[in-house]
Amino acid sequence: MLEIQELRKRYGDTTALDGVSFAVRPGEMFGFVGANGAGKTTTMRIIMGVLQADSGEVRHSGRALTYEDRRRFGYMPEERGLYQKMKVADQVEYFGRLRGLGQAAARQATGELLERLGLAGRRDDAVEALSLGNQQRVQLAVALVHAPAVLVLDEPFSGLDPLAVDALAGVLKDRAASGVPVIFSSHQLDLVERLCDSVGIISHGWMVASGAVAALREREGRIKVIVRGASPGWADGLPGRVTAEGDRQVLISEGGDDQEILRTAVQAGTVEHFGWQRPTLAEIFREAVA
Amino acid sequence: MNGLLLVARREIRTRIRTKGFLISLAISASLVVAAAFVPKLFSGPDTYTVGVVGAVPAAVGQVKFTKYPDEAAARKGVTEGDADAALIDDQKVLADGELDRGLGLILESAHREARIKAAGLEITPLRVESMGTGKGVRTGIATLLVLVLFFLLIYSAMYVAMGVVEEKGNRIVEILLTSVRPWELLGGKIVGLGALGLINLGVVIGAGLGASAATGLAADLPPDMAGIVIGAVLWFVLGYAFFSALAAAFGSLVSRQEELNTVLTPMTMLMTLTYLVAYLAAVQPTGTVAHILSLVPPFSSMVMPVRTAAAEVPVGEVALSAALMVVAVVVMLLAGARIYERAVLRTGARVKLTEALRQGGQGLRR
Repeated sequence: MLEIQELRKRYGDTTALDGVSFAVRPGEMFGFVGANGAGKTTTMRIIMGVLQADSGEVRHSGRALTYEDRRRFGYMPEERGLYQKMKVADQVEYFGRLRGLGQAAARQATGELLERLGLAGRRDDAVEALSLGNQQRVQLAVALVHAPAVLVLDEPFSGLDPLAVDALAGVLKDRAASGVPVIFSSHQLDLVERLCDSVGIISHGWMVASGAVAALREREGRIKVIVRGASPGWADGLPGRVTAEGDRQVLISEGGDDQEILRTAVQAGTVEHFGWQRPTLAEIFREAVA
Repeated sequence: MNGLLLVARREIRTRIRTKGFLISLAISASLVVAAAFVPKLFSGPDTYTVGVVGAVPAAVGQVKFTKYPDEAAARKGVTEGDADAALIDDQKVLADGELDRGLGLILESAHREARIKAAGLEITPLRVESMGTGKGVRTGIATLLVLVLFFLLIYSAMYVAMGVVEEKGNRIVEILLTSVRPWELLGGKIVGLGALGLINLGVVIGAGLGASAATGLAADLPPDMAGIVIGAVLWFVLGYAFFSALAAAFGSLVSRQEELNTVLTPMTMLMTLTYLVAYLAAVQPTGTVAHILSLVPPFSSMVMPVRTAAAEVPVGEVALSAALMVVAVVVMLLAGARIYERAVLRTGARVKLTEALRQGGQGLRR
């Protein structure tokens, strides 16, 4: 379990993080979403130890992280960093060795990963000769080569075509399935919704919502009722908002008693529609950061 | 430690195949080879041709005698340049314009020797024992050493700075520093590029010695040439350690190669100054300036090897100078590593030196 506890960070007068806390269980995919400048990258850099928090702590397996722990993490920074003139396979292997793999192990892991990421044919090309999407795959290979205990990926999907997204998502899911906590940030909310078990929404340096995607949608759920022929003011005693569309009245209710709403609606007119509306992650996000 | 070696190995492997490295190798080697050949071009010819009318004298080193039937033919030979001079009946010498001084002395002494011998006196020729060294050759070696050391130091230090900025600029340093300690990364870079500098120096020295053997200049080399060479290598290592730590510290302050020149200006100025005083020391090795600056780090890293090449220097002075330089190197490495560690993760605008030095910056979490 990776626990992020009460992280705070200030840059001069700007508060970047104002008490960020969340936890990622082994095998969980955690999607980290938020507007630009909300604090995602700062949080991830603090997790990886390339930035120091003013206060707060990151814990793994119940104790504070050390440098040796982080060496076993896989990291993809916000701005991609690769040696442009180094060959793909050499580069992945080099980082495997820097993270403590022996030569044979690093070579084998590199071969397997490049195969898996569809880069086997480019292994002897210099990184600069690759398209940006392929460079991104190399970047991911660098983050994965040493079979990391935790994955921290800053915007791993940005700028990828749908096929590359699928390849990458597949690899991440496999790693999560093997018990690795995976944190990644993204602006592609549909993707986060599809891939992640849980999400954290950060805004202005604090977590406005976090938890399992299904639970969030449930919690934020609303009832939508469409009644024909009701007289205006029929829903005056109910929580929510009524709009009129021709002779139809539409009630969107948040947090009301569903049975009471249904009874009132049936008495008021002909009920054409009655149902729960589950917001998409994008809607939750907009609501949360508004 | 393992991380340091891995980083060093990568630096060597990457750079050794680049055109830049090979070109620098070729330039410095040809510079030295050319320097070995230049004195040869300016010195007089090795052998003279002398026309002879009448009896041909006994063979004399460096002189080739050619017989002419009479004086008129000999005159023609000299004017047309077939002979450097002509000896007529062992009585007079004809020359085109002034007689070459070297040749004049040879002919004169051969003439005397022959007469004395004819009178029944045997002279044992003077035995010449070489004490090593003409001042000229020593100065030449020293001047060349200044150039080579300066070139290699600035070139190697630049590569360290460029490597630091490359890694900082493309943020690869974030991945690197979650894999290895800052000192391993910086140390590996310095060691790797330093090894390339040593290879380069080795090639230069090899080319220089080879060329002087080929041109016959080797006979004029000072007898303690081996000491000069070893000294040059050791001083290069010290100077390189100092300046590369400085280069890494300055380089870590900026995120883009374009900013590198500006931020490195103090370093390049210091190196240029060191070069200039070292050049001065090559020309005036016994002067007061050379004397003092050969003790003061980092100037001593170039002035001292140059001084020892150009003149004799007491061992005690060399030891003192080396000890001071070692202290300076240790201080510079510690300070450089500290600045590097604090500044290299702070991308974006240029980091102020004072900020990097101040305690409790945004540095790496331990």
